[in-house]
Formats: sequence, C-alpha cells, structure tokens
Amino acid sequence: MTSTLSRVPSWALVLASLAFGAIVWETVGQLGFSLIFPPLSDVMSTVYEVWTSERFRDALTNTLTTLAIGWPLSVGLGLIVGTLMGRFKVVEWALDIYVNVFLSIPLIATIPIILLLFGLGRPSIIVIVFMATFFQVVINTSSGVRAVAAQYDEMARSFGANEFQRMVRITIPGALPLMLTGIRIATGRCVRAVIFAEQIISVIGLGGLLQSYGGALRVEETWAIIIAIAIIGLTSMEIVRYLEGVMLRVFPQGHQISGA
Amino acid sequence: MIEVQGVGRVFERGGHQEPFVALDDVTLTIQDQEFMSLIGPSGCGKTTLLRMIGGLIKPSSGRISIDGNPVKGPGPDRAIVFQNFLLLPWANVLSNVSFGLEARGRRRKEVRELALDAIARVGLTGFEKNYPHELSGGMQQRVGLARALAVSPKILLMDEPFASVDAQTRQILQEDLLRVWRGTKTTIVFVTHSMEEAVYLSDRIAVFSRSPGQIAEVIDVQIPRPREDSARKTSEFTDLTGHIWEQLRWAVEEDQHIERAAANE
Repeated sequence: MTSTLSRVPSWALVLASLAFGAIVWETVGQLGFSLIFPPLSDVMSTVYEVWTSERFRDALTNTLTTLAIGWPLSVGLGLIVGTLMGRFKVVEWALDIYVNVFLSIPLIATIPIILLLFGLGRPSIIVIVFMATFFQVVINTSSGVRAVAAQYDEMARSFGANEFQRMVRITIPGALPLMLTGIRIATGRCVRAVIFAEQIISVIGLGGLLQSYGGALRVEETWAIIIAIAIIGLTSMEIVRYLEGVMLRVFPQGHQISGA
Repeated sequence: MIEVQGVGRVFERGGHQEPFVALDDVTLTIQDQEFMSLIGPSGCGKTTLLRMIGGLIKPSSGRISIDGNPVKGPGPDRAIVFQNFLLLPWANVLSNVSFGLEARGRRRKEVRELALDAIARVGLTGFEKNYPHELSGGMQQRVGLARALAVSPKILLMDEPFASVDAQTRQILQEDLLRVWRGTKTTIVFVTHSMEEAVYLSDRIAVFSRSPGQIAEVIDVQIPRPREDSARKTSEFTDLTGHIWEQLRWAVEEDQHIERAAANE
C-alpha cells in the first residue's frame, strides 16, 4: 500500500486530495444543508468575479505590501536579537523575560493598546504582525545559537579567529536548522496575523474585505476571499520551505558535535 | 623551547564539592623540534596541560613560556589538532583547512595555495570539495591535521588525535604523521593514552600519575629514526612499553587503593 503510493508523484496525490475535497464540497452544497456552504461551482464563479474586481486587487496589494514590510522587519530583527541573546549572556539576561512575557500573552490582549498607540491603519497592523512573528524567531534563533557546541568556538579561538569570524563561520551556520524552523513557523503566524489585524481594523486589505463581505452575509464572496488567503498562506510557506532546503544544502549539517 | 614551570591547575566544581586539582606543580621543558608525548591515566591532567600550552586555559599557579615569552592566549606559533576533529560540518575540506589561515587574515590567493599544499601533505588531494560527513574518521582527522599544518605552526599540539579511529587506520596515521613531521620539523606535543603510540612516535615521553596530576617520569626513547613499522617489534620497543605500563599500573593501582580507603571511611 505505502510502496504503491510512494511511487506516485506527490503533486498527483495533492491534486487527488483536492479533487476529493472539491467533490465533497460540491455534493454538500448541492444538497442544500446550509446557506453557509453553497456549492463549490457557485463559489468558483464568484471567485472569478471577485478576484478580477478592482476592490479585490486593491485589498490584495494592500495586504501583500503589509506583508512585504512586516515579514522582513520582524524576521530580520528577530534573527539579530536572537543571535545576540544566544551569544551573549548579558543580552539574554536582559531580554529573556520580555521575550517569554510576549510569547505567553495572547496577541488579542495587546490589541487595544496597539490601536491606541498606532491608530486604525497600517502601522498598527505591522506592529501586530511584528508581535506575532518577532518573538518566535527570537526564541528559535537564540536556542539554535546556544546549541552550537562550545568546542567549535574553542577550536576557532585556538586559530585566533575573532568574534566576527566565529559568528559567521560557526555560530550562524551551526544555528541554521533551528533558525530556519523558527522562520517557517513565524511565516505562518505572520500571514495569519496580517489578516487578523486587518479584520480588527475592518477597512484595510483582504481581512477588511472579508469583514465587509461576511457582515453583508455574502457567503460566496466570503469564500472567495478565504480561498485567496489560503493560497497566500500556502505559497509563502512553500517559498520558505524551499529556501530552507536550499540553505541546508549550502550549509550541510552532517553530524554536528552537540553540546550546550 | 616550551618551559612549563611549577604549573598547577585547579577546577572549581559546582555545589559544595571540593575543587578538583587537575595538575599539581608540573615542571617540564620541551626542546625545539622535539616530539614529546604526554601519557597517563584519564584524569591525570595531560590534556589540561596541552590546553594551557595552547593558551585556551590559564594555569592556576606556575608559569608556561615559549621561547622565554609567557603564554597569554592562543597564538600564531601554535596550532591544535583535536581529539574529536572539530571540523565544521557545513564547510568542505578546502574550506575547513583554510579556516586557520583565514582567521589569521591571510590573503585569499595565499590561503588557497597554502590550504591545497597542506591537503596534499596529508594525502587528501582530490577530496577538497568533500564535506566531513562524507569522509571516514581517519580522513577527517587528516583534515584536522591539514588545518593545523596549513598555518605553519612552530608547535603542533595534538590532543589524543587518533583515539577515535580504528587500530589499523591509527597505525597508518602514525606513520604519516612521522613522515609529515620529518618534512616540517615542528615541535610536537602529543597527548595519548596508548603506550605503543607514545613509544613509536616520540623522542621523549612524560608519564603522568593522577590525583593530583603530576609527572611521574620522563622517558627517553632511543629507537633510531626514521622508524619503520618494524620498529614496533624490536625489544627496545617492547621493553619501553612494558616499563611505561609498570608506571601507569602503579598509578592506577595507587588510585584504586585511595578510592577503596575513601569508601571504607
């Protein structure tokens, strides 16, 4: 069974799974159980209508712009702060408690404060994205850096390598697997946070559009937006996963000597 | 010339335990171009002494100097070959061997030339693009040796370098090390727990006892060089290994006696 399946290309399995899901959806829709589940064929014709509308394109551009600002900002700063925390005890002592606090309070609890501080616009959304993403990258990066065995550092010191050389040749490549996992998790959170924040603010981006269609009980249109969001989420995860694979081929991990 | 004068090293232990005296009042002089082995039971402080000569840790007492200058840290005159190789898994052979040269800020072209030359000297030409995990243990340690040789150290510090490879590979590595050493004439300080290895390679052997780590005896190895594999079968060779075993056995038995006495208290 597994051996037969393993010979089928994985994209074919994905397509088969999607086709099955579509058939189930269409059948349930045709049976007319609920207004919330219109037949897939109706949704698909609406998808075309909605996706080609100017309103959708504006919202999409808006959301992607926010992602294009928020993602690199949170991931980039997360990598830097995480590396410093993993590398220098003083930085860890100073920041560890804050990282843990922000990782443990629910995002939604901070939203009133963020909105008061940054207003009902993109700045607030970017801050919410940052809150959802940054700390995840920090925690993974710092534990990745700490997991690189001290013995490598000693080797580097014996050859006279300075702090910068040790960072570039040892710490960062050694911490790469955990860093990349952190980035992958953070990317999923990033997309979810953008939509979530836009929904709260209600007038911007795909999240805003979702709110307005949902509020008007336009079920097909709502589904069209949800499908668009799912595609954005999946695509960004796939891109990150692909880059992760490339990085790990460039910096193979072999049997790294472990140690704390 | 490496001068170790009255060197001691104490390690603090956690909790309420007594500090551990790894080395106590060790004095030893190692001549230029000499092959000196440090041998002893585990915990006798031989690796600690090597790391102090390398400048990775500081003595708690006494002083270590090289050509009259006190050791203050790692320096370009020394390179270390580590027991578990410590090759960077994400760097290929050429990049690993280049590490020390790059750390010392040599120019790119020079780094490549010197690294390729060191790789050739340890017999790894053709493996420059391979990653450590693609190589056997013996080959990985050749990379470790090449990395150290590449920086042309005056003193090569080797910390049980062949302890984690199989016996056959080990003999080949020992022969190759002697061949490389003939070509460079660096001073070598070689930590080992193998008596045969110490006798086969060394000009002199410092035999350590432990608790606390001290030098019990320094032995001259008079077996003529170049030493072929057949040197291992001469009576001088077996006499010397036998003599060292007496020394180590005494140390080990003494320790066991102390342990038993402590257990009875």
